[in-house]
Amino acid sequence: MSKIISVNGLKKSFGKNEVLKDINFSVNTGDVTCIIGASGSGKSTMLRCINLLEEPTGGEIVYNGQNILETKNIPAYRAKVEMVFQSFNLFDNMTVLKNCMIGLRKVLKVDKETAKKEAMFYLEKVGMLPFINAKPRQLSGGQKQRVAIARALAMKPDVILFDEPTSALDPQMVGEVLEVIKKLAAEGLTMIIVTHEMAFARDVSNHVVFMHNGVICEEGTPEEIFKNPQKQETKDFLSRFMNN
Amino acid sequence: MVEFIKEVINIFTEYRGYFLQGIGYTMLIALSGTVIGLVIGLITGIIRTIPTSKNPIIRILLKIVNAVISIYVEVFRGTPMMVQSMVIFWGYAFMNNGATLPLIPAGIFIVSINTGAYMAEIVRGGIISIDKGQFEGAYSIGMNHWQTMLHVIIPQTMRNILPAISNEFVINIKDTSVLNVIGVTELYFFTAKISKMTWSIFETYVVACVIYFILTFTITRLLRFIEHKIDGPSSYSMNIDEDDVKEDR
Ligand SMILES: Nc1ncnc2c1ncn2[C@@H]1O[C@H](COP(=O)(O)OP(=O)(O)O)[C@@H](O)[C@H]1O
Ligand SMILES: [Mg+2]
Repeated sequence: MSKIISVNGLKKSFGKNEVLKDINFSVNTGDVTCIIGASGSGKSTMLRCINLLEEPTGGEIVYNGQNILETKNIPAYRAKVEMVFQSFNLFDNMTVLKNCMIGLRKVLKVDKETAKKEAMFYLEKVGMLPFINAKPRQLSGGQKQRVAIARALAMKPDVILFDEPTSALDPQMVGEVLEVIKKLAAEGLTMIIVTHEMAFARDVSNHVVFMHNGVICEEGTPEEIFKNPQKQETKDFLSRFMNN
Repeated sequence: MVEFIKEVINIFTEYRGYFLQGIGYTMLIALSGTVIGLVIGLITGIIRTIPTSKNPIIRILLKIVNAVISIYVEVFRGTPMMVQSMVIFWGYAFMNNGATLPLIPAGIFIVSINTGAYMAEIVRGGIISIDKGQFEGAYSIGMNHWQTMLHVIIPQTMRNILPAISNEFVINIKDTSVLNVIGVTELYFFTAKISKMTWSIFETYVVACVIYFILTFTITRLLRFIEHKIDGPSSYSMNIDEDDVKEDR
């Protein structure tokens, strides 16, 4: 197992508000890492730092041995470490097919026929092939998120970051999106997933990170975190969740 | 009343050569001015929304360019186009030993930079109103600022600001009339000329009034039709072979 991403001493402040204080963790190829923690604990900020949508105020993020905070070519890095958002962020002016082709065409400069074939391949994988001509506004939340996953997959990334991929969905649509992610996990895709779906986190991940007030409070295997948490904060968080 | 209508029709038929020429130049200047103004608006809009760079030289350069754009916008929105026409036209003559600009290009130039100042604000407002998630979606798959703008943000902005663009076009059809102060042969210029030949001043200007109204009314309807066309059908085809993967350049 080789280390693909490691986050070393990551810090992020918004003005005076220090949101991330010295975050350290790493991800191996094939890992499914779930990040759990209360709202406002800094989960999204950390994921957005890894994707460079936020600029860290300190520390380093090492991808394949290179500190990406020093890289000149941020777009090339982002094409390898993709992000899936809570709010989908599909391109409203494009059809489902074009949403999945645009990155192949413009970023990877793939020819049109190949791009279409590959986009369709991944749309089929997420069960969205019948909707290739639809515009995002014509889809349900669950369908949009599956297209967003296909859009990320089409770039053949090394890692996909998911920021609460099911939090904006109606309860009956959560399952269809989680099924897709489980399938990807089974295929060995490296993923970092911020989620509030504890049962899913327990089943799909091999590494769980619990964040609390901008630090990693506890991390371990799903067994360790869910069955036998060591820290009081972890216990409190989990018991609050189980009671809901 | 019948006499009046007869005279109006009479004036139009007798001088239709002048009127048609006036319509031609008015539309030429208004249309070119709107299109070039929109291009100015798009370019300034893209520049003004470039995220702040880490490179200090680029950052300072951007600051300067942004300041220049702001001054341009404020000055051209804050002064009447009639005055701008005189200043530009005679300013050019002043700096070139009395040589004047050719009139039609001068007219197009004046309307373009005046419209550009308004379009700059319209486009910026349009870009700002696009959900931040659209930018992030594009950045996250590895698109750069330019690609993001060209393929994702500008197409959506264009659709949103189309009513404002139509509005600018209609304003330009009407406001082109101020160019007669420098002698541009647009519709108002010819109307004034004809009225001095017929001395039926009221009737002549009624003809101009009707022509202006027909022009603006038709353009408004046409652009509204285009807006609906762009919005497309509300249903989608389930047929894989029927997909149209339009490539933009
Ligand atoms: N762009 C921003 N500007 C200022 N504060 C922010 C910004 N983004 C997040 N924060 C703050 O950072 C903290 C952590 O937010 P976030 O990372 O979204 O937490 P989580 O995803 O765990 O709910 C919150 O207190 C939030 O208000
Ligand atoms: Mg969050």
